[in-house]
Amino acid sequence: MRIYEELFVVKPDAPEEELDQFIEQMKSVVTTAGGSVDKVDKWGKRRLAYRVDKYREGTYVLFQFSSAPETVKEFERRLRVSDLVIKFLTVRIDQTLKRLEKRKKDRDKRAHRKATAAHATAQPSVAQQMLGEAAPAE
Amino acid sequence: MAESKGRPGSAGQRPTGGDKAVATQKKQYFRRKKVCRFCVEKIDDINYKDVRLLSSFIAERGKIVPRRISGVCAPHQRRLNDAIKKARNIALLPFAASI
Repeated sequence: MRIYEELFVVKPDAPEEELDQFIEQMKSVVTTAGGSVDKVDKWGKRRLAYRVDKYREGTYVLFQFSSAPETVKEFERRLRVSDLVIKFLTVRIDQTLKRLEKRKKDRDKRAHRKATAAHATAQPSVAQQMLGEAAPAE
Repeated sequence: MAESKGRPGSAGQRPTGGDKAVATQKKQYFRRKKVCRFCVEKIDDINYKDVRLLSSFIAERGKIVPRRISGVCAPHQRRLNDAIKKARNIALLPFAASI
């Protein structure tokens, strides 16, 4: 199982119902193949940075799902065949997520260690001061 | 006569050399040390969907700003490159922008 992110651009003049229907269809593609859809996010209409198939804007849809690699092939084939979709991009993100998690953990650990170290050094200094004060008295 | 002629000539050359030295020193003085924005702000994830962040690293024409100008460190520039190229692919950023 791998986690993928699929961002695709739908024609701006496609009706809303048709788009929803298409999204449901794509969801079923993943689930029937044994994967699971984690997130579907419609960004809405956005201006494209350059013209694609004579369109200057498009509706962006973000899919996040975990599945086997073969499912992605089928998913992409469907996108390619579909008349609605003008552009798509698949990114495998499980490794990136893992790396980010690790970095965050390392960072937290370092901060924690720093905090405890500061705490630890602060206390002995007080103790040493007390010892220092006590020593001359003796 | 030859001596007196030679002296002003050499004296005339010296100040210009001095001016140049001053100019280069000034230049060096004003050059600020560049730091990697991703390291300083502790941005771990350079995501291709974050158009606002990425667009601050592309020039007017849509070109990727080189490291020597932006000051980004090598590992982060590599990730930035990947992200910008992905964003271009899905039409979030331009390949070549018209001014």
